[in-house]
Amino acid sequence: MRESTREYRFDWMLWSILENASRSTDGTPKEYRSLLDLVPHFSEVLDTFVRQGEPGLRFLRLIARYADMCSSANERGKLAALTTFCMATPILHAFDVVPVMLEALTVLGTVVLKRGTSEYLDYCCEVGFTETSCSAQRGSLGAFLAGGAVRPDFVVCDTPGICDTNANSFAFASAFLDVPFFQINYPPTLTDERARAYHRADFASLVSFLEERTGKRLDEERLMEVMRELARQDALASELIDLMRIRPCPVPGIYDLMLYGGRFMMSGTREYTELLESMLEVARENARLKRSGTRTGVERARGLFCYIDHYTTDARFWDWMETNEVSHLGSILFTFWNADAPYARGREEQGYTLDCSSLDAALDSLCDQMSRMPMIKQIRGPYDAPGMWLDDVLAEARLLQADFVAYIGSMGCRNSWGMNKLLVRDLERQGIPAVILFADAFDDRVASWETVTERLSEFLTVRGIIS
Amino acid sequence: MIETLRKAARSIGNPSLQAWNEGGGKVLGYPCTFVPEEIIDAAGILPYRLRGITAGTMSIGDAYFGPVICSFPKCILQLAGQGSYGFLDGAVVVNGCDSMRRLHECWRKASEDIPGTLPGFFHYMGVPHKATDYSIEWFKEELGILARSISDHFGTPVTTDSLRRSIRLFNEIRSLLSELDEMRMSETCPVTGSDAASIVLAGFAMPREEYRETLGKVMARLRKSKPVSDGKVRLMVVGSASDDADFVELVESTGAIVVSDCMCFGARSFLKRVDEDADPIEALAERYLGGNLCPRMFGWYKDRLAFVRDRALRSRVDGVILQNIRFCDLHGSENGLLERDLEAEGIPCMRIEREYGPLVETGRIKMRLDAFMERIRTVGGRRS
Repeated sequence: MRESTREYRFDWMLWSILENASRSTDGTPKEYRSLLDLVPHFSEVLDTFVRQGEPGLRFLRLIARYADMCSSANERGKLAALTTFCMATPILHAFDVVPVMLEALTVLGTVVLKRGTSEYLDYCCEVGFTETSCSAQRGSLGAFLAGGAVRPDFVVCDTPGICDTNANSFAFASAFLDVPFFQINYPPTLTDERARAYHRADFASLVSFLEERTGKRLDEERLMEVMRELARQDALASELIDLMRIRPCPVPGIYDLMLYGGRFMMSGTREYTELLESMLEVARENARLKRSGTRTGVERARGLFCYIDHYTTDARFWDWMETNEVSHLGSILFTFWNADAPYARGREEQGYTLDCSSLDAALDSLCDQMSRMPMIKQIRGPYDAPGMWLDDVLAEARLLQADFVAYIGSMGCRNSWGMNKLLVRDLERQGIPAVILFADAFDDRVASWETVTERLSEFLTVRGIIS
Repeated sequence: MIETLRKAARSIGNPSLQAWNEGGGKVLGYPCTFVPEEIIDAAGILPYRLRGITAGTMSIGDAYFGPVICSFPKCILQLAGQGSYGFLDGAVVVNGCDSMRRLHECWRKASEDIPGTLPGFFHYMGVPHKATDYSIEWFKEELGILARSISDHFGTPVTTDSLRRSIRLFNEIRSLLSELDEMRMSETCPVTGSDAASIVLAGFAMPREEYRETLGKVMARLRKSKPVSDGKVRLMVVGSASDDADFVELVESTGAIVVSDCMCFGARSFLKRVDEDADPIEALAERYLGGNLCPRMFGWYKDRLAFVRDRALRSRVDGVILQNIRFCDLHGSENGLLERDLEAEGIPCMRIEREYGPLVETGRIKMRLDAFMERIRTVGGRRS
């Protein structure tokens, strides 16, 4: 890692950029346009959010606040937990612990930093981590290993049994930084009584770990407050997804990132609720006008991403979707599986219901929520087992009337690369055009964005999805 | 005698296995040390650890698995797809790691295209990633389900008595292999690392009663053998699944002797005994999950470091080879930590990433080994 990179803390840089970005429209439109010329490496991504109007600006403020929470945790005397995107955070908030989420920070770094996160990715390898490990964690982990970010007080992850490569990043961080480690570990099934009992025993063990590390009892009032907000957010997200069923899809493509990004980083906060409300307002208006959420208001195709998105520098993925008038129907990161969600209809037993009637009920329902987080639900068992990856992708593709399904992942994703050929074959057999894009969502060096778009365009053209 | 074991270690089939098969004996394959062999043996079935050696192409493996997957399960699928595992009556797949767990789907789907490649009994077993009271309880239940499934499918009951008999048999084998392990670590090591690897590997593929007898005879001879380690650089091999005795032979061709290891096809498979007095299923769950040294048990790095360090010191090695199969991130990154910590204690380490299977990379690996040996010879091995 270059000396110049070490001079600035990674999390502080993110906060500084995002904080300034969130204020970029405080002046006049003319001042904003002039500002874009001054930030050539950031202008595209900034404008991607700003042109969304209020929702985009709310999102910028939300992620700026999250970056601030993370970068200043030590100074504010808060405990920081290094954790993963599929960890449901309300339980951490209930202990006043800041969830420092590697994947979220990697995405922010990849999208907004001039050089992406390549130096942080590579620094992991410099200190012994494998280059074949998942870039979703490595993209920010390097900064933590180099001491260029907030020092975590402990590590909590919930991916063992789901994605061992992911879990391994956290185990490595714990051993390298010599901080305590706790893992939630999932069995391969979801809805049977054995799995449920295991989830609960594991969740109780997490609560004990947090009590021990923080020296505090769980703040019941805070927990209930977060959960009530979360229930409201679930309802808003469900309505947004319901709107996506309309042809043309009235929901702008970037809302996909805003929905799950906001959820991962700031679920249970008032700011996230307000973001969702503002997103819904725009989507409802588009629906009323029968407008697509794309920039031109036209929809030429509808695409579902069966795993994750591509977080290339400058948010070019979402820009490409908009430019090509392709509606983004979300990815598995989009699905949190509250029982009332549109995709859970008819499969309610696979979803969770938040219950604030007592502390025990609240903890049980949080445990249910945690065990259904994106990726946790879909790839815990065989991809074609009931309620797993294939079932979910098929149900969503049908519900949202997808014209095609595309896979994008990371080179470190052993699980999805171990079964994506099978998944795509099964989707094609069901009449859904599907494509695997060989690329790394967080590292352009594996396959350039231009290569990815060329392949995607070719697929859409050859299959007659876009003429 | 040792020639029998060498042959069994270097091929998928072996004469003893063939005789067992021809006599009507059933064979059940499993890919990982988290599957208790005793349960299979207790049903009168031969437990056979799945391997991918001899795979000469990856045409089938690559058709189902993606490109960034460990070549170990790919080679197993390749062999299954091309019919090399036609002698299997069943297979148990576990979530030992991400690549290995997907063997379950890929094998099933391959069999749709290549009929007859999926054994009649095909079972998936979930293994927790931690050893707590509730995870061991879960694992115990999984073992119970496995035992019942085998009993039901093959019509051969797994009883408490048959389990106790099998546990005793496997413990006897473990005792003999542990003695071999001590012999290797001593100053007067009487066996090369490649032969030691063959001795252990054969035990995953032969009928166990016969293996115990053969092993007993080999050990009797080794007890009287002269040292073969004199003047050689003493090395330890650590890391990913390595069932290739030729790899060890390659290491030893540089003037070294491999006197110790920490691998699942090596010492990690036999060092811990099963409690013969406890409830058999409970004892098996404790033995196979509790204290397992695979890095897929997240959060126990310090214990594993202590184990490797202890073995390195006891076997007086001059250096440690930390190897991993490409895309095995669990061992690969743990090797990074081990390198940092062992080097800090004055133990020279060499990290190497390799492909599983036939030694297609012999030249590259040999060059790295030569450089490592040069370092040890010029700078010195472990500082005592």
